[in-house]
Amino acid sequence: MKVSLVWSSPKPERTIAVAMRRCYSTKTIEEIESELEQKGAEYWKYLLTKCLQDKSLDVLEHFTLSLMVEGMSEAEAVRLVGGFPYSRVSSLGADSWLVSLNARTLVEMWREPASKRFAESVVSELDSKQVCPVFNQVVFGERADAR
Amino acid sequence: MRVKLLYNTDLPALKAAIQAKGAPDDPDVLLDHVVYMFEIEDCSRVTTHQLVRHRAASYDQESQRFSAATREGVVTPPSVQKNEAALGAYDEALKAVYSAYEKMVAAGIPKEDARYVLPSAIKTKLVMTLNARSLMHIVWQRTALQAQWEIRELASKMLSLAKEATPELWTKILER
Repeated sequence: MKVSLVWSSPKPERTIAVAMRRCYSTKTIEEIESELEQKGAEYWKYLLTKCLQDKSLDVLEHFTLSLMVEGMSEAEAVRLVGGFPYSRVSSLGADSWLVSLNARTLVEMWREPASKRFAESVVSELDSKQVCPVFNQVVFGERADAR
Repeated sequence: MRVKLLYNTDLPALKAAIQAKGAPDDPDVLLDHVVYMFEIEDCSRVTTHQLVRHRAASYDQESQRFSAATREGVVTPPSVQKNEAALGAYDEALKAVYSAYEKMVAAGIPKEDARYVLPSAIKTKLVMTLNARSLMHIVWQRTALQAQWEIRELASKMLSLAKEATPELWTKILER
């Protein structure tokens, strides 16, 4: 199975931080964004770590991506659609699929034995494209340590 | 009320990937894969109650557990605004509610418990991420004449922003 990134939402770690601050702050979006720029990437990482500790995975839903998946069986595609309501899968013919999902779904796929292999391929593609190094390290850290 | 588009999926990148596979760029496929993230500010909690009924979307909303409510932050419906007697009753009720809220907080009640008295009129802020298909359903239901004025305004603003960001997709959707 080959997974290639088509598109991912900009600044994933910052977007997650925006969603998290939105829950706790009365500020406008511009004020939140400038606060996050000022405090920098270390603070985004702190918020991400905290949301995982608190099991507030909802904030991860705002980091979204679209992938081209080749060599995936129809059975596997059906399992991805049926088991994960926030993933979308469209057939592009000949074992090729357009798959869109959010980072929360990716984490849930990672945790399910039946979809782990797919999630690993996605994470490794995100790694190679340097999409979200901090996210990958914080969320899938054990894997990074093992390498 | 203010609505701002924070990002949307790059439609040309998506179409290029589909075309590279020799598949047609069917709007029905695109609907599922084009995603928008919105910031919504200063609409009432009445309206966000209606909004979150659209379950195929992701929401993160300003929490009343942690942030203090203020007397200024309420929406007054136009029907109340133009009716002097109703406006008097409305203001009186709000005054009583906020006075109770402030007294409870001052007495050491946590905000998450004091908020039980707060009105649905209170203004709120949230981020919302959804795909074009979910947005299409919201627009279809909530811009209809039967929908309430505030969510109609919200749905119209979301539609304008989505149309501006990805015009060709919405031209096809609205033609149907």
